Amino acid sequence: MSRDEIPPGTLYLLILKTLAVRKKLHGYEIAEFIEQQSEDVLQVEEGSLYPALQRMLMKGWVVAEWGVTAGNRRARYYTLTADGKKQLALELSKFQRIMGAVTKVVQPA
Amino acid sequence: MGLPGELKRRIQMLFHREQFRRDLEEEMRLHLDLRRQQQLDRGLSPVEAARAAHLKFGNTTRIKERSLMAWGSETLESFFSDIVYGARALFRSPALTVVALLSLALGIGANTAIFSLLDAVLLRSLPVKDPQQLVLLGRGNSSGIGDNFVSTELYSYPFYRQLQQKNAVFSGVAAIFSMTDDVHGFVLNNEGESNTDSQLMHVNLVSGTYFPMLGVRAQLGRTLNEADDSSEGDHPVVVLSHGFWKRSLASDPNVLNRKIKLGTTIFTIVGVAHREFFGTSVGESPDMWVPMSMTKSVPPGWDAYNKNFVQSMNVIGRLKPDVSLAQATTNVNLLLQQITRGFSDAVLSQKNLNKLSKTHVPLTPMANGLSSIRQEFSEPLQILMAVVALVLLIACANIANLLLARSTARARELAVRQALGARRSRLIRQLLTESLVLALAGGMLGIGFAVVANRFLLRMVSDGFETLPLDIGLNLRLLGFTFAVTVTTAILFGTIPAFRATRLHLTDSLKDGRGPGGARAKNPLAKVLVVSQVALSLVLMVGAGLFLRSLVNLNHIDPGFNRENVLRLQVETDVTGYKEDDPRLNALFQQIESRVSALPGVKAASFSSFTFHEGSWSDAIFVSGMPNNENIEVHQNVVGNGYFDTMQIPLIAGRTFSTADTATSQRVAVISEHIAKTLFPPGNPVGHHFGLGDNKPEHDFEVIGIVKDAKFDSLQENSENVNYLSYLQRPWNFGDFEVRYSGDFSNISASVQQAIKSINHNVRISHVTTLDDQVARTVTNQRLVAQLSTFFGLLAVFLSAIGIYGLMSYVVSRRTNEIGIRMALGAARSNVSWLVLREILLLVAIGIAIGIPVALAADRLVANMLVGFKGADPVSLTAAVVLLLLVTSAAGYFPAKRASMVDPMEALRYE
Repeated sequence: MSRDEIPPGTLYLLILKTLAVRKKLHGYEIAEFIEQQSEDVLQVEEGSLYPALQRMLMKGWVVAEWGVTAGNRRARYYTLTADGKKQLALELSKFQRIMGAVTKVVQPA
Repeated sequence: MGLPGELKRRIQMLFHREQFRRDLEEEMRLHLDLRRQQQLDRGLSPVEAARAAHLKFGNTTRIKERSLMAWGSETLESFFSDIVYGARALFRSPALTVVALLSLALGIGANTAIFSLLDAVLLRSLPVKDPQQLVLLGRGNSSGIGDNFVSTELYSYPFYRQLQQKNAVFSGVAAIFSMTDDVHGFVLNNEGESNTDSQLMHVNLVSGTYFPMLGVRAQLGRTLNEADDSSEGDHPVVVLSHGFWKRSLASDPNVLNRKIKLGTTIFTIVGVAHREFFGTSVGESPDMWVPMSMTKSVPPGWDAYNKNFVQSMNVIGRLKPDVSLAQATTNVNLLLQQITRGFSDAVLSQKNLNKLSKTHVPLTPMANGLSSIRQEFSEPLQILMAVVALVLLIACANIANLLLARSTARARELAVRQALGARRSRLIRQLLTESLVLALAGGMLGIGFAVVANRFLLRMVSDGFETLPLDIGLNLRLLGFTFAVTVTTAILFGTIPAFRATRLHLTDSLKDGRGPGGARAKNPLAKVLVVSQVALSLVLMVGAGLFLRSLVNLNHIDPGFNRENVLRLQVETDVTGYKEDDPRLNALFQQIESRVSALPGVKAASFSSFTFHEGSWSDAIFVSGMPNNENIEVHQNVVGNGYFDTMQIPLIAGRTFSTADTATSQRVAVISEHIAKTLFPPGNPVGHHFGLGDNKPEHDFEVIGIVKDAKFDSLQENSENVNYLSYLQRPWNFGDFEVRYSGDFSNISASVQQAIKSINHNVRISHVTTLDDQVARTVTNQRLVAQLSTFFGLLAVFLSAIGIYGLMSYVVSRRTNEIGIRMALGAARSNVSWLVLREILLLVAIGIAIGIPVALAADRLVANMLVGFKGADPVSLTAAVVLLLLVTSAAGYFPAKRASMVDPMEALRYE
């Protein structure tokens, strides 16, 4: 089974969407969710989630709080903010615009 | 999206970096552990599982860095490393650093020092409640006591009372006696005894409303109130200033049980004013405040509490919140007319009414307080501020030049860094940080320098007996100013070199950067800097020349008396308790005069009410048969018989006072030449009669003599209207005593003081000095400006010389190759020197050509500070140009010499 790098610039979108669906996750769960949802096609370099999450925290799209996992370990859980929801809508429409354009180019006439 | 929120989060992050790091590490550790567990569950060996987890995660170190970078803390970290790097770079070239730091410290320090004086004298608000609501009746440039029908500067106490009741525009009105009384008083202990000697106390009489109206609280006890000022003579209370309490009572917490004795009256201390409050007049801080109701008990016992037409008070009001200055002015002027006419003893003659109807009182905002010194010092301080700002500019140009030269030397380093991928903005930031480090270090040295310079400055502007009570300590505002100056400086001198240094042709620089083309490209900017330094230095030199010449001219003005060899001191007789018209007082004066005159080495001695620049008692004189102009004020000086001999004011006609002029004989006067010519009918005025002031019969005087004009108040005054009266006919509670002597000053001074004490042990002697000193002190301002501008002018030239030296050394080193070729082709060494010198002279000439018109324009700005000539002064200009040429040629000589020492073989082999 081949695995593909995620298209550049879509990491935010993936994280935002993940959190919109699953409400409250820690970093590992986010990575797992993305891979599972894409049926293991999309491969995130898992570490790169963290700088992205930091940037999103700073921009106020997500907030974090410390909680305890099922395995009884401390973990930082991220949730979406109102700003984050707006950003998700923005990123989605941007993504669809690009995908639409790409589709038009590659579709056989 | 909240930008403010983002900023807030970023700032929070700055303070919680460690916490942040730990959180991130824990989070990442959890991730790796969970992944490894997953792999183990799939059946991998522990080693393989860990490897797989790491592989999937990526480089942890790099991820951590990128996460931190997300918060922008990378910028901060690199800022700190830039500072360390910058400091190291500065240590690497100590000579440059020392020169730069010194010129910065001097420049910033001088700016800070002058600004602190400027701030204290001109800018700072009074430490009272809402100072911007306060207004003063009049312009605030007069003090003293007068007996006019109406005055716009000073007011009678009853006037203040009426204004207080009738006005509709002020929420409060207060009156302040326009002079502080200097009294030798005693601090008494609980038993009412004084165990110390008397001490000089500056006492300010104020209305009971003064403290409440200003909103000034007491540090201890209470302040004065309306009750203390309700009836005359029976409220002997005093409020001390915080400074006096600290100084003279050692901050005694039981001060409220103690008493103060002024003259013959014992005052109860009821409170200490708030620490910050120094009064309402900048440059005079009273030691204590006494209610105006006690005016007769505070020596010299001014009688002004009930006199409708004795003007001695400054009146201030606090505007009601919704009242404009214009509305208040209208109301006050209306009341001035009403109140003045309404006094029962008003002389409503046509002349007085005319005068009253023409009188208009302006209101002046007084948020910054009254000040006698403000007028005197505001212009000199502004000029000095401009001068030091120019010096700082020159220093900046200098450092910019040095940095430019150095950045050329660092060209390779910077090129290597750029080639390795450093962004240009990053390099510029680093170079600017270095400049900032330099400027901040200079700024700190500058503050140290300013603290020392301030004390020196304050001593220079003070009168020699007491230091002016100005608060020029370091404060937040001052430090803010210095910081702003410092950062501006760094930007000024750092920006151009930083941009310049990073604009590189990489390959050129890496190829050793010694091509002739590279040198050319960087010269013009440095040359512009040198030219502007020369131009600015010229402006400062010309200015200094003008002020120096002006000072010399001032000192050459003939005051009309002989300032040499006169001892003068003040004799205070308050302690004797004699009133002004007590015959025993005059007997005491005569006794002192005759005993001192008999001392060996003493030629003449006399009392006088004034000598020079000590204020005045002025009055109009009425000469029969002449149109009387009461606006011509004549200074009245009450003197002893030996006064003219002591001062050596020559007699022109008639005689001076003699023992024949007594309290019962015809009242006589000696007039100055100028009065004789302008106020008397043609012909010899000796024998003429005139009336003084109110022109009452008992104020009829006969002219017995005419003396040459003598200056009375300042060296620069034109009209010398002085009328001399004898104290035997017109009693005066004296202060001044003058002794003409020959021989050693300190011997004479000691024997004179001894002689006075032997007559009456109680009289107080103070302010011992020479007449020459007293006159010299009146030109303090001019001397201050002349000395400081000369100092800064020379500093400017010196800095410019360093700039030229630096530039030319650099040019010579760049042109070694070319010089070598020239010499190999047969150029003489002198030709080579000339080649270099010519370049310097050209730059200096351009600088001078630019500087001359600027200097001429600047001269016009200071024209009214100058004495004895107007505007453009060819002497100062020529002197400045010559000096500048000499110094700059000297600065250029060494590089030129070095150029001529170039060994052609060496130079050619170099490349």
